[in-house]
Amino acid sequence: MTLNRLQHYHLPDSGNAVIDLLEKYPDEAMIVAGGTFVHGLAARGLVSHVEALIDVSRLGLNFVRTDEGRLWIGATTTFRELLESPEIAGQPLFGAIRDALSWPPPQVRNAATIGGCVAAACPFFDMPVALLALAGAVSAQGRSGVREVPLQEFYDGLFENTLKADEFVIDMSVPLPTGRAASAFAKLETNANDLAILNAAVLVSAGSGGTCDMARVFVGGGVGETPVRSRAAEEVLIGNALTAEHFVAAGEAARNEIDPLDDHRASAAYRKAMTAVYVQRVLEKAAARLRA
Amino acid sequence: MKELLTIEVNGERHEVAIEKSDSLARVLRDRLGMTATKRGCDTGGCGCCTVLVDGRAVYSCMTFAKAVGERKVTTVEGLVREGELDPLQQAFIDADAVQCGYCTCGMMMAARQLLDENPDPSEDEIRKGISGNLCRCTGYSKIVDAIQLAAAAGRPA
Repeated sequence: MTLNRLQHYHLPDSGNAVIDLLEKYPDEAMIVAGGTFVHGLAARGLVSHVEALIDVSRLGLNFVRTDEGRLWIGATTTFRELLESPEIAGQPLFGAIRDALSWPPPQVRNAATIGGCVAAACPFFDMPVALLALAGAVSAQGRSGVREVPLQEFYDGLFENTLKADEFVIDMSVPLPTGRAASAFAKLETNANDLAILNAAVLVSAGSGGTCDMARVFVGGGVGETPVRSRAAEEVLIGNALTAEHFVAAGEAARNEIDPLDDHRASAAYRKAMTAVYVQRVLEKAAARLRA
Repeated sequence: MKELLTIEVNGERHEVAIEKSDSLARVLRDRLGMTATKRGCDTGGCGCCTVLVDGRAVYSCMTFAKAVGERKVTTVEGLVREGELDPLQQAFIDADAVQCGYCTCGMMMAARQLLDENPDPSEDEIRKGISGNLCRCTGYSKIVDAIQLAAAAGRPA
């Protein structure tokens, strides 16, 4: 691996110690936990400037809990810990989280952390798209305290987030809607262990007459430098019945709205075509959960 | 600059000089000479470096040695107990589940976690259990057969 300049591997035991280290190495430090992303970056020469790794896995940030009307996920909670958590089991609202976590192989689920996956700002990852659909937020701790950053304001381009130099992610949270809501996620990939060609996640809710009163539609996996929200698809859904014809129309609307990347995994044209298919599929899946 | 690391592998504690950037795979192969664990892609894409850490399968190429701490590492060398092959190892032989063999050690470690947690998996569960391990020779059928054989060997007659 290309971590040629690495001098220090720190295992701090408190948030303040992490902040001290971030200030000590303003441009040369990288936060790690599960470590499942840094080696991929290293192989591509993207971390050759890193002199210090700050491993945050001993801060006690492995937790999943519900309070104050939100689901809270500690930053170093592994994919597996969240997937096995009773807090998200069986609930239609958290369907997208369960879907996204069931895709990676066991080796990744055992090691990768939710905070790392979110903070990495890799447009091909799955969990960020699921959490964006669920209107998730990041809690960032820095010298001046903890602030909440909505995920939609957290991403700032390829591998870029809006954390300040002295901040790191301590948890993610998702609001619990008052009405009945359901979410779903799906991923298109070339093999079981590759990054997404395309992924999609939706959150929908319906009033007593079965009319959709809220929808959030996100597409990721190479449709842009960050996941993309399809307002056009949401407009098709809101005020209409959650039925197949509207799911097809929402898929078409999402396809027409995006301008995907052309890369070695897939052409932009293929990503556009598959956006229509995958938005339709996740809507069907979420609607089925809502009816169940 | 190197530093000393204490690490427990297959029930034995080792003190070994490592670089801070060393992966667990590097420590196992290059520092401890335990070469059953293979290096393939070195970026968590192929699975041939899979070992168990506290019983759970991880890619040792993506695990920093410094992060292992007090946790227990198990490699293929540790599957043999008192000269007896693990039922999985015997099943891979009996099912002819090996061609070039490069993926086999990682495949068996992923399968070990699967069977430890789910002693009677369906074919679908087996395929998901080894979904993080690539094999470019076998087409996977005989590997799935071998894991089914090992599961059957573990069931009471």
